[in-house]
Amino acid sequence: MISDRVKKSLKRELNHSLMAKIGIVLVLAIMLMAMFAPFFAMHNPTQQQLDRAHQPPLGVTQTSEEFRFVDGERQIQEVTIQGTAEHPFGTDSLGRDLFSRVLFGARTSLMVGLFGTLFAVGTGVSIGLVAGYYGGRVDDSLMRFADIMLAFPALVLAIALVGLLGPLTVRIPDPFVAAGLVEGMPATFVFPITLTIVVGVVNWVWFARIARGEALSIRQEEYVKAARSVGASDWTILRQHILPNSLTPIIVLATIQVAAIILLESSLSFLGFSGTTLSWGFDIAQGRDYLGTSWWISSIPGLAIMFAVIGINLLGDWLRDALDPGLSGEGGV
Amino acid sequence: MSQARFLIRRSLQGLLVVWGVITLVFLLRFITPGSPVDFVAPLDASPELRAQIAINLGLHQPIYVQYFDYLFGLVRGDMGFSYIRGRPASGIILSRLPATIELAVAATIVAIIFSIPLGVLSATRRHEPTDYAATTFSLVGISTPNFWLGIMLILIVSVGLGILPTSRRPIGLIPALEMLIFQLQISGIRTWIAHMILPAVTLGTYFTAMIVRLTRSGMLDELGQPYVKAARAKGLPETLVTYKHALRNTMIPIITVLGLQLGSLIGGAVITEFVFNWPGLGTLVIDAIVVRDWPIIQGALIVIGIGFVVINIAVDALYTKLNPRVSYE
Amino acid sequence: MSVHTGEKPLLRVEGLKTRFFTEEGQVNAVDGIDLSINDSEVFGIVGESGSGKSVTALSVLGLIESPGRITDGHVWYRSPELVESIGADEPSAVDGEYVDLQALSPRVRRTLRGTHFSMIFQDPMSSFNPSLTVGEQIAEAVESQQRARANPRSVASRTQGYGLSSFIMSTVMPSKRYVKEESLDRAIELLEMVGIPDPVLRAEEYPHEFSGGMLQRAMIAQALAGEPNVLIADEPTTALDVTIQAQVLDLLLELQEETGMTILLITHNLGVVARMCDRLGVMYAGEIVERGTLHDVFNDPVHPYTQGLLGSIPDLDGTRDRLQPIAGNVPSLLDHEMPDRCFFADRCPKAMQECLEKPPEFGIAESSSHATKCYLARTSYDETDALTEDYFSSETAETQQIESDGGTQ
Repeated sequence: MISDRVKKSLKRELNHSLMAKIGIVLVLAIMLMAMFAPFFAMHNPTQQQLDRAHQPPLGVTQTSEEFRFVDGERQIQEVTIQGTAEHPFGTDSLGRDLFSRVLFGARTSLMVGLFGTLFAVGTGVSIGLVAGYYGGRVDDSLMRFADIMLAFPALVLAIALVGLLGPLTVRIPDPFVAAGLVEGMPATFVFPITLTIVVGVVNWVWFARIARGEALSIRQEEYVKAARSVGASDWTILRQHILPNSLTPIIVLATIQVAAIILLESSLSFLGFSGTTLSWGFDIAQGRDYLGTSWWISSIPGLAIMFAVIGINLLGDWLRDALDPGLSGEGGV
Repeated sequence: MSQARFLIRRSLQGLLVVWGVITLVFLLRFITPGSPVDFVAPLDASPELRAQIAINLGLHQPIYVQYFDYLFGLVRGDMGFSYIRGRPASGIILSRLPATIELAVAATIVAIIFSIPLGVLSATRRHEPTDYAATTFSLVGISTPNFWLGIMLILIVSVGLGILPTSRRPIGLIPALEMLIFQLQISGIRTWIAHMILPAVTLGTYFTAMIVRLTRSGMLDELGQPYVKAARAKGLPETLVTYKHALRNTMIPIITVLGLQLGSLIGGAVITEFVFNWPGLGTLVIDAIVVRDWPIIQGALIVIGIGFVVINIAVDALYTKLNPRVSYE
Repeated sequence: MSVHTGEKPLLRVEGLKTRFFTEEGQVNAVDGIDLSINDSEVFGIVGESGSGKSVTALSVLGLIESPGRITDGHVWYRSPELVESIGADEPSAVDGEYVDLQALSPRVRRTLRGTHFSMIFQDPMSSFNPSLTVGEQIAEAVESQQRARANPRSVASRTQGYGLSSFIMSTVMPSKRYVKEESLDRAIELLEMVGIPDPVLRAEEYPHEFSGGMLQRAMIAQALAGEPNVLIADEPTTALDVTIQAQVLDLLLELQEETGMTILLITHNLGVVARMCDRLGVMYAGEIVERGTLHDVFNDPVHPYTQGLLGSIPDLDGTRDRLQPIAGNVPSLLDHEMPDRCFFADRCPKAMQECLEKPPEFGIAESSSHATKCYLARTSYDETDALTEDYFSSETAETQQIESDGGTQ
């Protein structure tokens, strides 16, 4: 599937791009975090411990004034809490461990990012290939529909769809917990189905456009005509000739779309539309009410999103520069 | 084909797209689980009351009748009555429109002012500290969720430093200007600016970052073109070589990309409004979705769709003006 | 056509070296060339593509950009006028009537572009900005020259007194525009001078509305805006139709006679050289391997490369004006791949043991104006010294393979 030439140019680009290396490390780190979250987590991310609420991250000392009753009198006391290694990222307003929540939040983001992109690629590429290959009226009507989709800002459409359709979720059993490898972790993982489908639905148009363009141009090539003349079926031609040729731009775009979809997912979770409570965006929303006292609740999950998206964007830059220099001169650093 | 005819044709196409948008938005209600009556009727409503409410809302009609009623209503500027507020939806939406437009325009201005010079500097001082700073900024900028950026700005600037306000803004641009002109008071406009800075930066950062990236790579391409060498060979000042020659050609493809990306500006505006409790269309639509206030949801989505189509036609017009090679096909 | 060796040349290039520092390594695009060009002559530099001709031209003009750099050498330019105006500021660059362009600060060097030196490029379509009118672009050249003449000091800065603020102001205030009305009028005159019909209308048109030949005329007009002393023409007709080529070349000769300017003509086309040049230098792998008058070089080529270029029978009548293919390809100019021997030896039909030991120096052949960088200039070819035919194919079998795949030009 991957030719030697492609491997070589990927490697060459990687060798002299520090940014590509950083991107790969970030993405691998986050994927490992997400996959093995139950092993790295020190607490159950959904476990509330009200007596440990608002604990600052390790190395941070938080001083606040609290009302206490001393000898039956109400007094203001200065309370100092120090961050401990027990909760390296601190705890939220309900005493849940933020480090564990960040780890499990990576699962939601990555799964929605990957499956949402797959859905968009599947839908978009099929529609685009069909439109480009058959042309004529099929092409016209599909592309007009694409125009209408493009007239809606993706985020607005996603907010409307998810908000209106309601959050449908499935609970997937955690294989590590089911196998008895770890204890004290959530037995199931909430996968937001509506959200995943919607982020796919609002992004398929880009893939359709690329696939259609490629199909249009390749349709005219001699070898495709030859294949048709020897009686290859439309399906065979699409699968064997047209699809492999449009793969490169689709892979590059898909990588960048994973980043865009993670941002989209976090926005929707932030608005409370996702149906899962284990998400970076959801935690940022939770922390909004405590900005004056516990700044870390909102800050840390946001940093997690930022690093994840930076990593994927760098990966996308690397793929684009290595596979398709024609797309644009250079991006990133 | 002349430019005027091209734009007329483009507008007709836009009208078609707007019709498609209206139809999709209308159909949205029918794929949504539950009936609007559930949200409007009291919990203990009798079946008779529910039926009466459905008739009042026009929901007893067949779909196509409702569709044409809605379409003809729209032509007259009638978007129905808000289920919750009981006032015409069009009036509510219009009253929220200026805040959103002000925010979007302010963010665009912020983005253009900072991004283009930064992108040009980054390209002309390639591999220098300026370039590294600009590319790092743009990478972080396109990777930061803007609602989080807004919260961090509130945390640092408002909570930490105690400078800019975070409360819902008390005054719009037009009342502020009226105060300035008729009462010679600048306090209104000062308040307006103080409330505008953080939301505009929040919304503008992503665009600044994106335009920096596009400008940098575009400028690097253009600066390598033979016409740049020729311009230097004839002794032209470097300012003109960079800004008049190279930047002009860089902007042509950037404008196309920006036109496509304006969707994320509008989307970003919705969420930025939510973070800053901004009295615009975004907060209106989110609130309306939560309570299923359909006339508001539909009206606001249609207005956003129309706005996007109009902006895209304007971008096309700008594109044809800048690029003499365009063929009006 | 005759060469006065006693006359002081207008331009003397000495030991010029231009290097490109790329990721693959150092590229020796111009490797120590010497040239002298006289007043009012047409001097040709001829060679295959990739031999360093264009880099030589850009080096003379000081337009080499990163990752390229001129690492060594001098470009002496005879201009008493220039000596007078800058002599006090840059004494180290002045020697008698000559100024070393290489030693000048980039600021001063910039002021020479357009006024003293100007250049026409190979592909007119890409050398004009596609989104500005042709008239505007020529007027820019006129304007920059007029500003340079009116106030030589102001042009020494990067912005030449026309900075970003002026540019931004000009978008709202027409009076602040860089190009003044008079320059546009002059641009139209120039277009007329180079034989473009309806110059008033054509000045309003964009480059894509011009034909290739017309656009090349427009570029010549642009290059003449500052009445330069030296016009560097880099493959001026390569991108044009054969019929148009002749017209453009005639125009250049005509203008040269009128103005008395010196033309440095870069080309790979021997027919163009035969038609245009008084003297020429033959370039190979970043070096001038043979130079002399047109007559000397064409009638009596010494260097086997020149002989190869001209084919077995040198012919001034132009019946054989295309490059004859020479086996092999222009060698890599990568520093670490360049052997310490005559660079042409591996393609040379007359390579000898001597050629491998050290690269030949310039030897004098026949007259002092005809010189060549080859041992054959002083020894005649002796077949007993010759290398075996497969000498290089066994040494560099792999690279030979690639080269033959790539074909020859």
